[in-house]
Amino acid sequence: MLKRGISFVLVLVLAAAMFSGCGKQADKPEPGKPALKVGMVTDFGTIDDKSFNQGTWEGVLRAGKEFGLETRYLKPVGTTEADYMKEIGNLSDAGFKLIVCPGFKFETAIFQAQDKYKDTKFVLIDGYPHKGDWAPVVKENTVSIFFAEHESGFLAGLAAALQLKEGEFGFIGGMEIPPVQKFNWGFQQGVKYANTNYGTNVSMKAENVIYQGTFDNVAAGQQLAAQMYDRGVRAIFTAAGGVGVGSINEAKARAKAGKEAWIVGVDVDQYGEGVYEGNKSVILTSAMKYIDVAAYDMIKAEKEGKFPGGQILTFSAVNDGIGIPKTNPNLSDDVYKKVMDAFAKLKNGSLKVSDTQGDLLR
Amino acid sequence: MTTRAGREYILSLVAIVLGLVAGAVLMLLSGNNPLLGYLYLFRGGLMNIERLGNTLATATPLIFTGLSVAFAFRTGLFNIGAAGQMLIGGLCATAVGLTFPWSRPVLLAAMLTAALAGGGLWAALPGWLKARFNVHEVVSTIMMNWIAFWTVFYMVPRYFKGPFLETESQKLPDTASLKTQWLSALFNGSYINLGIVLAIVFVALTAFILDQTTFGYELKAVGFNRHAAGVAGINVNRNLILSMTIAGALAGLGGATFYAGYASNMQIGVLPSQGFDGIAVSLLGANSPLGVLGAAIFFGLLHTGKGFMNAMTRIPPEIADTIIATIIYFAATSIMVERVLDRLKRRRAGQLPVAAGRDTIAAPKKGGAR
Amino acid sequence: MEYVIEMLNIRKEFPGVVACDDITLQLRKGEILALLGENGAGKSTLMSILFGLYQPDSGVIRLKGKEVRISNPNVANALGIGMVHQHFKLVHNFTITENIILGSETTRGLVVDTRSAARRIRELSARYGLNVDPDARVADVSVGMQQRVEILKMLYRDAEILIFDEPTAVLTPQEVQELMKILRGLIYEGKSVILITHKLKEIKAVADRCTVIRRGRLIATVDVETTSGEKLAEMMVGRKVTFQVDKKAKKPGEAILELDNLSVRGPGGVAGLKNFTLEVRCGEIVGIAGVDGNGQKELVEAVIGLRKADSGRILLKGNDVKDLPVRGRIARGMAFIPDDRHKYGLILDYSLEYNLILKDYYRTPFSRKGLLDHKAIRRHAVRVIEEFDVRAGQGAAATVRSLSGGNQQKTIVGREIDANPDLLIAVQPTRGLDVGAIEYIHRRLLEQRDNGKAVLLISLELDEILKISDRIAVINNGELVGVVRAAETDENEVGLMMTGIKRGAVS
Repeated sequence: MLKRGISFVLVLVLAAAMFSGCGKQADKPEPGKPALKVGMVTDFGTIDDKSFNQGTWEGVLRAGKEFGLETRYLKPVGTTEADYMKEIGNLSDAGFKLIVCPGFKFETAIFQAQDKYKDTKFVLIDGYPHKGDWAPVVKENTVSIFFAEHESGFLAGLAAALQLKEGEFGFIGGMEIPPVQKFNWGFQQGVKYANTNYGTNVSMKAENVIYQGTFDNVAAGQQLAAQMYDRGVRAIFTAAGGVGVGSINEAKARAKAGKEAWIVGVDVDQYGEGVYEGNKSVILTSAMKYIDVAAYDMIKAEKEGKFPGGQILTFSAVNDGIGIPKTNPNLSDDVYKKVMDAFAKLKNGSLKVSDTQGDLLR
Repeated sequence: MTTRAGREYILSLVAIVLGLVAGAVLMLLSGNNPLLGYLYLFRGGLMNIERLGNTLATATPLIFTGLSVAFAFRTGLFNIGAAGQMLIGGLCATAVGLTFPWSRPVLLAAMLTAALAGGGLWAALPGWLKARFNVHEVVSTIMMNWIAFWTVFYMVPRYFKGPFLETESQKLPDTASLKTQWLSALFNGSYINLGIVLAIVFVALTAFILDQTTFGYELKAVGFNRHAAGVAGINVNRNLILSMTIAGALAGLGGATFYAGYASNMQIGVLPSQGFDGIAVSLLGANSPLGVLGAAIFFGLLHTGKGFMNAMTRIPPEIADTIIATIIYFAATSIMVERVLDRLKRRRAGQLPVAAGRDTIAAPKKGGAR
Repeated sequence: MEYVIEMLNIRKEFPGVVACDDITLQLRKGEILALLGENGAGKSTLMSILFGLYQPDSGVIRLKGKEVRISNPNVANALGIGMVHQHFKLVHNFTITENIILGSETTRGLVVDTRSAARRIRELSARYGLNVDPDARVADVSVGMQQRVEILKMLYRDAEILIFDEPTAVLTPQEVQELMKILRGLIYEGKSVILITHKLKEIKAVADRCTVIRRGRLIATVDVETTSGEKLAEMMVGRKVTFQVDKKAKKPGEAILELDNLSVRGPGGVAGLKNFTLEVRCGEIVGIAGVDGNGQKELVEAVIGLRKADSGRILLKGNDVKDLPVRGRIARGMAFIPDDRHKYGLILDYSLEYNLILKDYYRTPFSRKGLLDHKAIRRHAVRVIEEFDVRAGQGAAATVRSLSGGNQQKTIVGREIDANPDLLIAVQPTRGLDVGAIEYIHRRLLEQRDNGKAVLLISLELDEILKISDRIAVINNGELVGVVRAAETDENEVGLMMTGIKRGAVS
């Protein structure tokens, strides 16, 4: 046993000597200006999560195709700063000098990376670099992107309330983190706006505003949705990744059985996810963030030499960074028109949506 | 004795080589050059002092969870709960680190003690259930994983939340981190931390306890044959509980090195994969402390080098994960290798052609008198 | 003369041991050949080679004159060689039919054809007089029946040559008689049988010829009819064997162990031992006779401290030890030789030297302040190995698993007697051992007695009890039937008492 252990250590030391030796010469990047290569590090979850990672990657891919760039994504082992830093380092060392990182969990990692890899540019979506104290430090090689989720949630809430006119609505969130909270608060404001301005009668109760706590517990999502529907909720806004998938499944099962059960989707147009029969879907509409557009725009800017380094950008109604889908088979034309009116008001600033809780639920 | 040790040595090497070959086949199948793949994999983990440091840093919690599993296994217990014990260890360390404004040495010592105690107590419960009610430890430790998971889920946002985020604790102050200036500098800013020193100390300590003390003698006796141990006057139940407690304490320390060394805060909603990798580490390391050290470093190397291999080749991350899993799988099944080697040897020994027949069925291993 | 199987000049070496050294064994068609040897002589290794579990280092195997190579048990099966192992290999919650066809199921479409299989099994059973019900579950039938299932398994696969490995070790006397009949039936139907055993009585009863091996070497192959049992024993052990023990009269001294109205609950809460009173004095051996399962287990476990007594007292040298843990009783002079040495007596994966300190590792000189002293442990082991003649390939460092059964038992006996206990409790101390080892262990027990120590012997073998006990306590249904002096009783009387019929206590 003892010998076995020693042998391992020996072999590893030998291997270390070998590889570190030959590593030295090959390590340096080649002279001349290499072609731009774009990398991405995924957040918690897979590349096909129908949400954050996928949206970002689609933007990267589109830009890559359009400008003929090499693209690559890496999946970190865990979700700690060290895990993210390792993958950023791997991409940078491999010559990927523009790196897109989706998710606030990258904040402290990018804070370090922007100093450590000065020749690499970073796009951080849904967060800004800081050293752990939430004081933003955005260096020249980094751009930080936020979305006005509250505006997106507002539009979706407005649309849902207008379409269904009366009854109970619910909300299922994933983890209680700012983007999810903002979706929730915006949604509630949208419902209120419809009640006040268009005479609808939709209400939300505290017991029907729930953060499940994860983004991947499908079963819990289904259960929570079932409970809400049983309590008489007509439509649920899910901002919860895999948890939302569970809720959609529950809604589909109910719809199939001829019962009413609506879901308001999130991040991307989830209409297709909610199809249960022919082309009928339980997705009333979706509160969208154009993540792919943001990723694409940043790559395009870098390609054109106009990388907005050092800035914190917000994608909102003003720059068409959020919205609801262009086609909503479950919304009437009239409703869509009213939502677009509100969208226009958000755009010109005559309508404001708060991104804080205020006197809203949770 | 020498032939036996030599055999073990060959076995583990063959197992690893087989794993690498299987990984190579996967790379070929996905249209990549395995030689390049492995070149980048190993360079990713070793090519400069910083990456070497990261390899060791990644290995650190694995050493602890591997030791944890191996230690329990020596007493005949299967500790699947290293992940939960890590979480509780990390939570205790973080709680102490965020609460007390003590000087660094005192604070670190207190944090590690808390992690040790927390992880130990967390595992003592399944140990007690096993001793008292014969509840199978596999079931109870898995359950305890989820209790730990949700405990952290509740405790962190409730008591240790940062100013903005609900999902992670505040960052630990520098005085409460195992990351140390001189060590980070030595390894060029890598994530290596005092945890590795601690890990090596505990490898030596567990080896010493198991091989040199009456306590180790008792533990192993209970592990091999608890009936005979009981007849000989050894208190079997006490040893079961103690063994689980120590296993939990080791995993708890692993949690401290992970959350207060490798990372610098706790995140909720994540069951650390190191807990389960510890099982594979223990298997490959033949449940011996030094073997665990070697195996953990090997795993650390794979995990650290994987990303660089991804970046330098067109192997997608999912395939890379599969390759790593395949290597681990093969490496951890050295028993299989042993059987294959046996067969080969038998075949070579005979002069006649092999008669028809499938694989050996139910051949009693001890069978023959000698 | 036609031989169905010939194993010529077989040699097999294991690390440190030559298990078979140039052994030749020839089996004639239609005969029962006994393979006789002490434990560890190489019988099992030789048969494992024939069955394809091991490959010989050198030597040739011929089947009906044709050279064959048996690389694994499937090949052996295909060649018509079947083996009935000492430990049966049956799936307990399967029916007998399912067990027998396991691995060679005939199917009709996708369905296993158990019906026609059962029919065939019934035929075979009738033909060989096995009296097996194909539809019974293995878990529900007796050990003797399970053995017949194993035999049927071979017959079902058309085995021509059947190897029986110590087939009587697990059987009751009646079942042994049955088995002997079955063996003769097999021969009558043209099968050939190799019978591995070390019981001379059985060889004399059924075998035609006998091949004797000792320490891995062939001694001789002889005709059973013309060779006396004494001669066979001498060939097996290598010296004259005395079947009589040399028991000097001895006057017992004061009581060492006193059981006073002891009651113990058995498994499931039923009364296992009821108001049991007995004393064992210095310089005597008290034997407990009884049919298995009549409270012996509860008695032993209560005395050594594994099981809690409900009422009564257990006095060791006058002190009540009823509430002491196992270790406390050991420390006060108790020692224990268990019946199941693998389960209760040894840590098979520990080395010989570690096993020898199993009860004393925490004391000086083997450890100080919790640290083991490996040098002292080794010294102790070397001495005990020498004194008790334990044979192991790698000496003190050998794992006990690699030792033969007899040497494993000697390891236990050495450990227990070397502790110089005032009371030695021996349960079936000679189970599964050969003549030489039995003789040795009996001598050691008597030595204890002669040195003025007390011995409590629990055995299911009446012969053993009668031979070495001074007094015999008969137990039935958890109650003491009576105590008789060994010198003044016989098998009949004790046998009668074992069924519960009382007789006035003598002592």
